[in-house]
Amino acid sequence: MSKIKVIPCSGIGKVFGLLARESVLMVTEEKCPNDTETLCLAHVVTGDDEVVAKINGETCITMDGCAKYCAKKSVEETGGVVVKSHKVPDFMKAHRGEEHGTGTALTEDGWKYAEELAEILADDVKEIKSGGNVL
Amino acid sequence: MINNKIGIISCSGEECLGGTISRLAVRKMMEELKPGMVSTLCLPLFIAGDGGEREFAEKYPTIAIDGCSKCCAKRAIEKYSNQVAGSVDVAKIIGEAKALEKPLSTRHLTDEHKEFIEQTASKTCQIFDEIAAKQ
Repeated sequence: MSKIKVIPCSGIGKVFGLLARESVLMVTEEKCPNDTETLCLAHVVTGDDEVVAKINGETCITMDGCAKYCAKKSVEETGGVVVKSHKVPDFMKAHRGEEHGTGTALTEDGWKYAEELAEILADDVKEIKSGGNVL
Repeated sequence: MINNKIGIISCSGEECLGGTISRLAVRKMMEELKPGMVSTLCLPLFIAGDGGEREFAEKYPTIAIDGCSKCCAKRAIEKYSNQVAGSVDVAKIIGEAKALEKPLSTRHLTDEHKEFIEQTASKTCQIFDEIAAKQ
């Protein structure tokens, strides 16, 4: 089985895009480096043959920063199979009132939230690897 | 809502160091070098064509900041809107091999990375000033 693709949105204007990016990096670089990899969303959306070949028919997880779901939609349009899709604000309920930082840098609370998001992604990876139905 | 009249689009660069540098250089433009004077456009949303980004880049000068020589942001602007008003290829500033190193969490920025961000933002600022002088 090839590595699971974990792809964040690349939102740059608000903290949500950075939270998505940092949580995915925690998964692909630290928590599940042998089972996952990320792809550059900017490259995905160009639809180049090289990136289509990498993603077409492959198992993907997306983490979007907002309800426009750019990562999920772009991955699906490029032929990736999105078995789990999240967006950063979905898990904010327990974090109301916290300041998570900006699109440039996360605060201490922001890093804790990114860690929580990374754990959610890592759990997805475990479930997929064990053959569980995460759809 | 987009009010400012010079746009900047960064690649998302999840796969390489150059992408991290390009994002942070754009944030430096927004927060330190030209606060309130640039509009940052989200590349996946730009390509999706949902949020008025394409229309902005058709009407107003837009600068592409790319993390590697695939130049996804530049190609997207030229495909969907107009010729770019300027473009910065981080690989040409920090070297191709360096730009293609692994993507970096903002937790792990070193003084060398900060210098790369400074150089990239400075180049972007120079292009910005040239465009502004013509307006």
